[in-house]
Amino acid sequence: MSEALTFWLLAALALAGAVAVVFSRDALRLVLGLGAFLLAVAGLYAYYGMGFLAAAQVFVYVGGVLVLVLFALLLLARDGGGRLLAEGRFDLSAAAVGLGLTVVLGVTLRDLTPPAALGASADLGGTLLGPMLPAFELLGVLLLAALVATLVVVGGGERS
Amino acid sequence: MSASPITLLCTVLFGLGVYGTLARRDLVAVLACVEVMLGAASVQLVAFAHAAKVIGSGQAFALVLLVLAAAEACVGLGLVLATVKRAGTQRVDELTEVRG
Repeated sequence: MSEALTFWLLAALALAGAVAVVFSRDALRLVLGLGAFLLAVAGLYAYYGMGFLAAAQVFVYVGGVLVLVLFALLLLARDGGGRLLAEGRFDLSAAAVGLGLTVVLGVTLRDLTPPAALGASADLGGTLLGPMLPAFELLGVLLLAALVATLVVVGGGERS
Repeated sequence: MSASPITLLCTVLFGLGVYGTLARRDLVAVLACVEVMLGAASVQLVAFAHAAKVIGSGQAFALVLLVLAAAEACVGLGLVLATVKRAGTQRVDELTEVRG
């Protein structure tokens, strides 16, 4: 019973955070909503027994990406000046697309039962985090180098 | 195993993200809405992995998704900063250089 309560509390937190991200007019509230959403996602990971993933989610997202978004908002406020965010407005066609996609996804996924065993992907996971671990880690280093290079190319061109 | 409530939740979250991505006019807000969509898809993936009793590989997949999403946020925010520096605006509807 308390397990179901945990799930519904996490679901409510995720929904509230997502609603805050989509509809808030204030930049800081948007970031706080994103934080609540990401924490709820981490909680859902833990609820499904994936503790490592939940910890990684908290470290990478709540600790990293959220701070990055905050820094971006800070820089934008300095660069652009004035209000941080345009006021939210209701967009009918966007609502139609979002609602339609929700219905399509809901109908598609409703009767979908996951396969009993995913042998190939289990092998992939074992391989990726087993004998291929050094390559996997090197991939992370490569990704980091690519990110730094992108930021240098995009942002470091001109200084005035 | 109750797969239905989590599927419903993820579907609604994804729809919310789609709406926000299309309706928001601020570049950072659009990026945040994309993050919501990615999170919804990731939670659905994890729920399916849990239902199929493949915790290990499900976790590995979701971890790869997490790293890719972090990289996407990093590059996206860099592009937003560069765009604002270059065009002087962060409103999506004011960026009309390639409008047909």
